[in-house]
Amino acid sequence: MSARTVVLGAGANELVAAHLLAQAGRSVLVLDSSESHPADIGWVAPQIVRALDLEGHGLEVKSPDPWTAVQVTPGERLELSSDVAKSVESIRRYSPGDAGRWPAFCERMAQLARALESIAVQRPPDPMGEGFEAIAEVLGLSLRMRRMGRQPVEDLLRILPMPIADLLDDWFECDALKGALAGAGILHLRQGPRAGGTALNFLQHHAGCAPGVFRPPASNLRRILAKLPGIEIRKARAAQILVGAGKVQGVLVEGGEEIAASHVLSGLDPKRTFLQLVDPGWLEPEFVRALRAIRSRGAAAHVILELEREPDFAVLAIAPSLDYLEKASDDVKYGQVSQRPYLEARVEDRTLRVHVQWVPGNSADAAARESLGDLVVRTLGVTAAQKTVLLPADLEKAFGWPEGQMHHAEPALDQWLWMRPTPGLARYRTPIGGLFLCGPAMHPGGWMPGACGYHAAREVLRKA
Amino acid sequence: MKPYDAIIIGGGHNGLVCAAYLARSGRRVLVLERRERLGGAAVSEEVFPGFRFSVFSYVVSLLRPEIIRELELPRHGLHVLPLESTLTPLADGNYLAQWNDHDRNRRELARHSLRDAESYDEYGLRMHHMARAVKPLLAMAPPDPASLSPRDLLGMASLGGHLRSLGRERFHELCRLMTMSSADYLDQWFECEPLKATKSASGIIGTLAGPRSPGTAFVLLHHYMGELDGVFRAWGFAKGGNGSVSAAIAAAARSFGAEIRTSAPVEHVLIESGRAAGVVLQGGEEIRARRVVSSADPRCTFLDLVGEQHLPGELVSAIRRYRFRGSSAKVNLALGELPRFTCLPEPGAHLRGAISISPSVEYLERAYDQAKYGEFSRRPYLDIVIPSLLDPSIAPPGKHVMSIFVQYAPYQLNGGWTDERRQALGDTVIDTLAEYAPNIKSAILHRQVVTPADIERTLGLSEGNIFQGELSLQQMFFLRPAVPWARYGTPIRDLFQCGSGTHPGGGVMGASGRNAARAMLEEGV
Repeated sequence: MSARTVVLGAGANELVAAHLLAQAGRSVLVLDSSESHPADIGWVAPQIVRALDLEGHGLEVKSPDPWTAVQVTPGERLELSSDVAKSVESIRRYSPGDAGRWPAFCERMAQLARALESIAVQRPPDPMGEGFEAIAEVLGLSLRMRRMGRQPVEDLLRILPMPIADLLDDWFECDALKGALAGAGILHLRQGPRAGGTALNFLQHHAGCAPGVFRPPASNLRRILAKLPGIEIRKARAAQILVGAGKVQGVLVEGGEEIAASHVLSGLDPKRTFLQLVDPGWLEPEFVRALRAIRSRGAAAHVILELEREPDFAVLAIAPSLDYLEKASDDVKYGQVSQRPYLEARVEDRTLRVHVQWVPGNSADAAARESLGDLVVRTLGVTAAQKTVLLPADLEKAFGWPEGQMHHAEPALDQWLWMRPTPGLARYRTPIGGLFLCGPAMHPGGWMPGACGYHAAREVLRKA
Repeated sequence: MKPYDAIIIGGGHNGLVCAAYLARSGRRVLVLERRERLGGAAVSEEVFPGFRFSVFSYVVSLLRPEIIRELELPRHGLHVLPLESTLTPLADGNYLAQWNDHDRNRRELARHSLRDAESYDEYGLRMHHMARAVKPLLAMAPPDPASLSPRDLLGMASLGGHLRSLGRERFHELCRLMTMSSADYLDQWFECEPLKATKSASGIIGTLAGPRSPGTAFVLLHHYMGELDGVFRAWGFAKGGNGSVSAAIAAAARSFGAEIRTSAPVEHVLIESGRAAGVVLQGGEEIRARRVVSSADPRCTFLDLVGEQHLPGELVSAIRRYRFRGSSAKVNLALGELPRFTCLPEPGAHLRGAISISPSVEYLERAYDQAKYGEFSRRPYLDIVIPSLLDPSIAPPGKHVMSIFVQYAPYQLNGGWTDERRQALGDTVIDTLAEYAPNIKSAILHRQVVTPADIERTLGLSEGNIFQGELSLQQMFFLRPAVPWARYGTPIRDLFQCGSGTHPGGGVMGASGRNAARAMLEEGV
């Protein structure tokens, strides 16, 4: 039957979309092609929780606390937690002035995070949209921003395009504090803290968090979604999206089976969706050019260490100063692994999970893995019984992240809102009738698991 | 005696433009310039006997055509000689030349990359459209986006209306151009490194950012704004040096009745019961006027000339965090003979245009890397012109004047700027140039090195920033210099701003001065 909807991928976004469509009476088949799924990190918007009654199904959201700690001198750490007063005490040991400014900083940033949240729970505004609805959306958004007052509006306009380094220099003097905070600004970007747009990335990591916390929570979102009844999930990989008369006809699965479908939602990245799965005959050259211009360079590697004994920290970031981060980013500009990388390590029992930045995507051999693992062990000063290193190419293979980019499209200013991932695709619809995109390359991005799928499903239903 | 209608602080090009427009509308105005000569950064000085230099700004590219028309600048002595080409010499003895002549340019590009030669026309057309999209914004007084007053709402509506009138495709392209890095933007179009580098170099001029820093792409438009109006080419020299631009504007202002005084440094703005009533000069002389307009940069205007005790706290902190970070220097050379470039040793048309030391994007990016940690670039980007080839009157017969713009030389140099460091910068620049034109060292008769610290000391431009504040996204349009004071007004009644530190700022454009005068006249000055 042709009323079927096929969803490509089984991450949080795809599953949210699948369940919403199933709720609306569609017959939904999910094709899960990944070997494994990454943990769901990020704010789960209340709209999604309500729509799928996730609380009733056991959604657990856990915020890291303390969310970061940076070493200032051996044995001395600056720790930041959700308890503002506790952070103030921690900062005071290094800079009384910064400690005094911390509560005000937290309050100002929290205001901006609320603004970003309200942008994220809506599909991106389309300033060029025709008709009453599009204009009402844009005006509605600006009205909501204005209602927050003068200060947040001014802050939004000024801070979003800023380099995170400038924002932090405006407020603080302590190098370690600035380094610890700037980490959130550079995560998954190919840019150092002095590049424009890193303040936006910083604030995106603040969305959904308590004031003073700049690292999003982890949740079991995907796991409960996978268990919810109402959809069919099959381990299979799509070989082709079948198109006829400019409209989706179905999906050809590896192995040869054809599944007829009236709608296909792809959680794969846009380049893979179109350039590998759709017959090029259906794609306009201009569209192909726009697709190719989407930047999705990877920036990070994951290193998992099995430690011989439990370390004396729960979380540790290596980010002693803004200059340290900037120098680390200099290496990747010229295609090198950062000699002194930004590290963010989290302990679970004796397992240490380390986010390493920057690692370019150009090498993925055993030697590269070995040397990166050694670099991380050395930098953290731990002894590891076992090392697992996932380079950007490994992350691509494991999770389908193009070039190792978790957000599928770099979270940069020019790939935000109505330009995410490229203007022609920003509304989840594509030039192929019935084919929709629902992965993190879409608004609001990979910061908020499920949100891209939520918007995509609503776009599918909007028409029906 | 009847008081002046307006006193303009600063006789740079924006101050003079503002004065000219006010005088043209029948106002009695007085311009006060601190230095003994007019022009601010647009001056010609005989630094060495017989050699006249445009010591600071050195080309005319952005001066608004409506200003040239309305003030009849050609009648007052402005004569612009067009620059026809840009030469990018390369280390391997090859070169890339860009010519204004379309066919010649295409043939030259095809020598490097057929694909780029193909894309070039389409790129030019796109930039032309973008420049046309931006042009109306240059003459606009930026509305306050957070205000609900009818004037600001109307301003926002007209901004929105203009953007929507562009159509979907051009609007999106404009959004991308405003937020991308010049390197990323050009990567979409071209593959030839010297071409990308030379084009993206215009995005880093005057700003402490590398070609890979987001927010540098929109400056690519500048090259297409001059061409657009057909008044003259995108780049040119003013005959007699850039001081002639200032002199022409001053002559126009005087012809409308403006008074201009040089060697008249303003000590502070006279503020009486919350309004500007005039100025007090450094010697103690008090001059009263109904309005005061400052063309000085925002830090100087608000923190020095007004004083924070008269200002709301938010504005003071906004001005404190407004960023200058001057990063450009100049080296001016008096030459006994023309440089002989390894790639094109004989004198020729290529010397009559700009010469750009920008072999690759990576070269520029590495130059930036050194600057961001407080050192001047060991191999800097250089933009070189030899104006005496087009205007022989500025050098003795057979001899030449060379102007070298240098990026990056940060104001915040580790250890600070000293005589030694200044000379070391000069040596670095000459060494860099000598790699492409080996005879340059023996050709030099005299050398003048101007660091950001010198620019600050001589011209009063804070931190030596040539644009009165970085032209970055967070300091543009309604954010320049701070919301809600981007409409040329200030919290002090009857005090206005007209310098490059206001929208649209930057370059010898004059738009800030003209917009400020219009905003004042609208308010019924």
